[in-house]
Amino acid sequence: VNQLKKLLLGLTPMGAAAFVAGGGTFGSIGELVDWAKHPTLKPAADSSTKGDPIWRTKKALLLMMAVGLAAYLGFSGTFASFSAETSNNGGAIASGTLTMSDQVNTGTVCFSAAGLVNVNPNCAKVLNLSNVLPGGVNATATVTLQNTGSLDAGKLFLYAPYVNSTLTAQVDPGAVPSLAIAPLEGTITAGDTIRVTAGGAFQDFSATNAVAGAATSIALTGATSTNTFPVGSTVTDISSNQTPTTTDCYDVKTPAGGPGNPNGGADLNFNPPAANPFCRAVLMWVQETGTNHHYCWVGNGVGTAVCTAPTTSALTSPLTVTPNTTSLAFAVNGNISANDHIHVVSGIHTQDFVATQNAYAGATSVPVTSVAANFAYPVNSVVTDTEAANAANIDVTNTISHFDTATRFSAELRLYPVTSDGTIDQASTIDMAHCCAASSTRTFQVGLYLPSPNGANQNALQGLQSTFGMTWHIDQQQ
Amino acid sequence: MSGLTGIKKVLLSLLVVGGLTFLTYGGVFAVMSGDLTNRGSTIASGTLTFSNNVNPSLTVCISNGGPAIPGNVNSTCDALFASSTLMYPGQLATAKVTIKTTGTLDAKDLSIFMPSCTMTPTPGAPAGGGDPCGIGGAQLYIQETDVNWTATQCLWPTTAATCPLTADTLYSFAQNHPDITSVVDLGVGPAAGQSRYFIVGMELPAAAANALQGEEAVFGLTWHVTS
Repeated sequence: VNQLKKLLLGLTPMGAAAFVAGGGTFGSIGELVDWAKHPTLKPAADSSTKGDPIWRTKKALLLMMAVGLAAYLGFSGTFASFSAETSNNGGAIASGTLTMSDQVNTGTVCFSAAGLVNVNPNCAKVLNLSNVLPGGVNATATVTLQNTGSLDAGKLFLYAPYVNSTLTAQVDPGAVPSLAIAPLEGTITAGDTIRVTAGGAFQDFSATNAVAGAATSIALTGATSTNTFPVGSTVTDISSNQTPTTTDCYDVKTPAGGPGNPNGGADLNFNPPAANPFCRAVLMWVQETGTNHHYCWVGNGVGTAVCTAPTTSALTSPLTVTPNTTSLAFAVNGNISANDHIHVVSGIHTQDFVATQNAYAGATSVPVTSVAANFAYPVNSVVTDTEAANAANIDVTNTISHFDTATRFSAELRLYPVTSDGTIDQASTIDMAHCCAASSTRTFQVGLYLPSPNGANQNALQGLQSTFGMTWHIDQQQ
Repeated sequence: MSGLTGIKKVLLSLLVVGGLTFLTYGGVFAVMSGDLTNRGSTIASGTLTFSNNVNPSLTVCISNGGPAIPGNVNSTCDALFASSTLMYPGQLATAKVTIKTTGTLDAKDLSIFMPSCTMTPTPGAPAGGGDPCGIGGAQLYIQETDVNWTATQCLWPTTAATCPLTADTLYSFAQNHPDITSVVDLGVGPAAGQSRYFIVGMELPAAAANALQGEEAVFGLTWHVTS
């Protein structure tokens, strides 16, 4: 059709030229323009000439001009071939996005998209605790995850990362005698398989020697890279997390105190860090929180609404002997289960109150069974959750090491949606909805506690530091 | 025959596809995913150690100066009284002891016990046959002081401000507080970097029996802190 239009359009100037050049009605383009401006005037040429053959020729040429213009302007239907046509123009396909963010307490938000190919191994540490003593106050941190993409996350997982680091120098194709890395999290055993990953590309190498925690280089045996791995590529020991001695969590002695300073771990001779004794002693829990959406994912209490997490705190409001006490005001720094005994102490005075409902870290008061206080307990009276403390102090299972080995990459923990306290939806196809509805966010409390088993000598745990990580992973909806 | 060959080719192709799928499973099914790792969380324990300084002029003994096993136990600190000190009945001997917390943690509790008290003949003296560790033997007290060695609180055998000398107190201490399960509680231990000061006093009673002549009481005092 377009070719026909071009042909007809070509006739238009031909007709116009012949019309003008042939004389008659309009003797020139100027006359034609004048007539167009003043159509009530007669053409300059004599109308008697309209019967001339030249005039008839001009009429034919004028028809050709009209046909040409009409064809050009789209009168496709004037041609004698049947046709029909519809157009769905502007069709497009665009992929969605599946990204997530992670914020520890009120710190800087960490985005998966900020890492290499949606893998960001450098989010903030969850906890940084020092000078911990057995049975001391536990510590928790809040980790808020959000689906920041346009697609629903069909699955949300938590797992302990392998012994890991990231490249600090690019690896190019060819021989690779060693890897330059950021301080290693965990320890490597000679012969372990070291995987370097960047996006979809990865390659496995073999570690020549054992490598200590926080080391910045891994020697490789007979390694030849077939890829380019840029700075920031992930380095993992995929042989790790099999036993408590090969976990991502690793122990070192705290630094020596130096002259005039208190002793550090390095000043002591009875606290060997080998085999990660501190990682194997410190309890860990991961508690999901939300209004009527509490669930214990990791730790003592897994599968219920409440992880065992001891609370040691102090009254923020005094108690009076009358009227009865129905609530205790204090900063809850663990988790309290309904029916737990809340032990309050001030000097020689003590009293146990019974919690009437669960309370979670961050709460500022706990309802208790109505009872008369046996003393006017002042502010700062010591408050302890007896049941939680007792349970934690005899717990030798739910440690950081246990998390590392039981929840390693190959046994990642699916974090199904929590539908009510202690209940999850295992049939769900969406673990975290797309941004930015309320269901795109999930909040977790991560806590640590060094138990104080009754009568046990824990001197070997003095002056040690455990370092560990945790990884959150989302997959698209299947 | 040719038809059979065609079917074989088709089946063979399927077999190849199946084989490839089996061998490359991880890469075949593309999914979108995101990963975040919170690295480097740490938890570090504190240290609970203390020093024991008998009289300011002598060497400071540290709890972590002993062997690795059992650890944080040092049984080689200075004696409170030299065995060459010959005591007369009614003559008081004292030793100043400074207990200082040298670790990063506060000592929640400080206690003391006496693992043993044994009688031995005084070197170079005729043995009288009496037992200074026994009834009628030496008298003992433990007096807390301030940093200037001014008495503040008696911790043994009474809770008065100033300790008295009382009969049979060495015997009583040794008999009733021989180990970690039967300590004399000295109250809250020093906070990190802080000290507490004590004077340990001992005397043979003025009316001591002649049988105590030429006899020596050999005893130890063990100081213990907990967090």
